[in-house]
Amino acid sequence: MTGRRCCHPPRLHLPGEHRFPTPRLPTQTVPPTGRRLLALHLPRLVTEGLGPGPLLAWAPQGARRIVVAVDPLAEALGLRPGQALAEAQAIAPTVRAVLVPPDAGSGPRVNGATPAAGRRLAELALWALRFTPLTAPDTPDGLLLDITGAAHLAGGEAALLARIIADLRRLGHEARGAIAGSPVTAAALARVGGGILAPGTESAAIGPLPLAALRLPPETVASLGRLGLRTVREVLAQPRAALTRRFGAHLAHVLDAATGATSPPIRPIRPAPDFSATQDLLEPITTREAIDAVMDRLLPRLCRRLERAGMGLREIVLRAHRADGGVQEINLGTGAATRDPAHLARLFRDRLDRLEPGFGFDRMALLALRTEALEGVQSGFAGAGAERRDALTRLLDRLAQRLPVWRLAPRASHWPERAMQKVEPFATVPAPAAAIDGPTPPRPVRLLRRPEPLEALALLPDAPPSMIRLYGQRHRIRRAEGPERIAPEWWRDAPTRRTRDYYRLECEDGTRLWVCRAGAPGDAATTWLHHGWLA
Amino acid sequence: MDRPALLAALRGRIARIERGGALPATATVVRLCPPIDAALPAGGLERAALHEVAADAPGAAAAFCALVLARSLPDGDGTVFWIGPDPDPWPPGMAQFGLDPARLVLVRAQKPTDALWAAEEALRCPAVSGVLLAARRMDLTAGRRLMLAAGTGGALGLILRPGQTQGKEEALDPSAALTRWRIGTLPGSGAARHDLGDPRWRLALLRARGARPQAWTATWHAGSESLGVEEETTPLPEQRRVRASRMGAGQ
Repeated sequence: MTGRRCCHPPRLHLPGEHRFPTPRLPTQTVPPTGRRLLALHLPRLVTEGLGPGPLLAWAPQGARRIVVAVDPLAEALGLRPGQALAEAQAIAPTVRAVLVPPDAGSGPRVNGATPAAGRRLAELALWALRFTPLTAPDTPDGLLLDITGAAHLAGGEAALLARIIADLRRLGHEARGAIAGSPVTAAALARVGGGILAPGTESAAIGPLPLAALRLPPETVASLGRLGLRTVREVLAQPRAALTRRFGAHLAHVLDAATGATSPPIRPIRPAPDFSATQDLLEPITTREAIDAVMDRLLPRLCRRLERAGMGLREIVLRAHRADGGVQEINLGTGAATRDPAHLARLFRDRLDRLEPGFGFDRMALLALRTEALEGVQSGFAGAGAERRDALTRLLDRLAQRLPVWRLAPRASHWPERAMQKVEPFATVPAPAAAIDGPTPPRPVRLLRRPEPLEALALLPDAPPSMIRLYGQRHRIRRAEGPERIAPEWWRDAPTRRTRDYYRLECEDGTRLWVCRAGAPGDAATTWLHHGWLA
Repeated sequence: MDRPALLAALRGRIARIERGGALPATATVVRLCPPIDAALPAGGLERAALHEVAADAPGAAAAFCALVLARSLPDGDGTVFWIGPDPDPWPPGMAQFGLDPARLVLVRAQKPTDALWAAEEALRCPAVSGVLLAARRMDLTAGRRLMLAAGTGGALGLILRPGQTQGKEEALDPSAALTRWRIGTLPGSGAARHDLGDPRWRLALLRARGARPQAWTATWHAGSESLGVEEETTPLPEQRRVRASRMGAGQ
C-alpha cells in the first residue's frame, strides 16, 4: 500500500500512517456547554401501528415492490428491509404484507418515513413534553429531548431514560435511548445501543462507531469507505481542511457536533413557555368535575408565578396528556395582559367541553405562551376608570371566546362597502376624518351587506324613481334627494364595476331608503339597487 | 361571581332600595325630549332596565335606538353593544344621532341562546352603558333574566324587534320590559319634491308601568341634533290600554 492514493486534491492521512500528531480542534478545550440531550430511536416505528405480526410493510419503488420495514416476528423469519416483496413472501408466505403509502415528497426509502409514522412521531414528541418543555421529532425514526436541568425531576438521567423507555414500551413502541451533550452524539449512540455519556466524553465514545451512525448522506459514507475510512475516529484523524474541501461543510458540522465540540440547536415541536404550571395525576381523570378541580389548582399556581415575576399573560394553552399517549390542547388569547385566575377560569369554562378524555388524562399543564409586563394593581386606588376598563376587557374576552366580536373603524374610501372595516374589539377606533369636500349628506343607519336589486320606474332616464317595487311591495315616491355620484375605485376595483348614483327616497308612508342606479342613465344594463335604510 | 360584579350588584341593589318610589336622580334615566320624559314615570327611559322597541320601519327604529344608546353613554366613557344575528348598523349614519363609532361594539350571534347569553354578559358588566339585542321573539323568562342582569350592571337594555303588521298590534306577547315602544315613520318635513327635510317619526308608547299609553309625532332636527315633539299627543285606544295594564298586572 503506497502512501499516496489517487484522490487528490485532498491529501488524506490514512490510519497507521502518522506523520505528525493529529491536529486537535481548538474548540475541544472549551469546557462543555452543559446542555444535555436525550435521543430516542424507535426502530420499529413503521410497523408498530399496523396490528399483530408477523408483518412487513412494503411500498412501491419505481417498478419494484420493496419491503420497507419488518416487525420482530418477521425479522425472526429471516426477512429484512430492502428485500423485494416477492422474495420476502417466498421466504415466509404467512407474513402479512401491509402497503404503506409512500411519502409524498421523498418517495419510499428503506426504514424511511411514512406519513403515518411521521404523524405518530409528532404525537410522541408532544407526549414527551411531559418530561421536558423542549422536544423535537427527529425524522424519520427518532425523538430529541433537551433535558438540560430537567433530569433531576425524575431522579437522575439514568432513571429518566429508563422511565421514558418503559413508558414508550407501554404505549407499544420499542425504543432505545442515549444521553449526551449534543443531539448528534446522542442520536448516534441511540442508534447503536444507547448509553449515557458524562459531559466531555463524547469524543472518546463516538470514536469507535461506524460512520453510518452519524446519519451522513449515503454518498459521503460510501466515498469515505472507499478511502478506507470506516469509523468516526478514522475520519476525525484526517486534516479538517482537506475533508471539508472534499465533502463539504456539512461533514465538518456533523463531526464537530458528534464530538461535542458544538451542540447544534434542536427544532422543538412547541415553543418553550414563559411560565407554566403542571399537575401529574396518579389516577387518570375523565369527568368534567375532576378537570375543573385540577384547573382550580393550576390556574392560581400559574398566576402566582406570573405575579411574582410582574407579568401578565396574553396567550395561554392548556395541554392535557391522555393516558394512552394522545395530547389535546386548548389555546386562549386575551385582549390585555391578565393574571386573574377567576377570569381565566371563566374563559376556559366553555372551551373545556371540547376535551375528549377517552381513557383519562394523567397530566395537565397550563403554559403561558406569550406574556407582557403587568404592573401590580391595588384595587381601589386605580380609580373607577381603570376598574371599568378592566371589566370591559374581561367582558370582551369572554364574548370573543364564543362569538365574533368587532368594532367598525372608518377607512379612507368613498365606496360605501369599504368605508368601514372590521377591527378587533380591543382596538381603538379613530374619529372619522373631517370631510374635505363639505358636509356629508345624510347616510343610512343600516347598510345592507349586499345591495338588493330593486325595480324602479323613473319618468326620465336620469330622474329619480317615482315608483319602486321593493320586496314585492309597490311604493310611490313622494320626495327624492340626489343624485350623489360615487365612482368605483379604479386602483382597486375590476374595470367592470359601475358608477353609482345614490338617491335618498321618501315613500308615501315616510319610509326612507338609500337606493342607487348602477350604471349610466338610459343604458340597458343599468340596474337599481337598494343599499340601506335611512332614518 | 367575581368581586367587581358582586360589588356592582350590591351597589345596584342599594340604589334601587334608596330610589323607592320617589323620582330618581337624573343619572339613572336617559332623556329623550321634555314632553316624552314628562309622560314617563321615571322622567325618562330608566337605566338598569329593559326596554322594547318594535320596528315598523327599520330605519326609523334603528335611528331611535342609536339615539337612546348614544344618550346612555356617559361623557367620554362607556361602551354600547349591538348584538344580533346579523348586526348591520352603519356608523356614518349612526353618528348623525350622536353615537360615536369608537364606543360601539358589534357581536354576531346566530343562535338565540348565544345572543341572550351575550346580552346578559354585556348587561352585567359595569363598563357597559347600553346593550341592544336584535331578536325576533323573546319569552318571559329570558326577558326577566335580562332585566335582572341590567339591574346588576346598571346598563340600559334595548330589545329591537321587527314590527308586526298594523292589524296585529294587539297580538303582543307578554314581556318583562319596562316600556314598550313602536316606532313608525311619517312623511318628512321636506318642503319640495327634491328636499326630504328632517325625518318625522311616530313614537308610540304601547306600555309603560305607571304611564298612559300614548303616541307622539316626533321630528328629528338634524341641525340641532335634538328630538322635537308636536304638541298634540294621541292617546292610544282604550282596549289596548286595558290589555296592556292586564299584562302589566300579570307579572
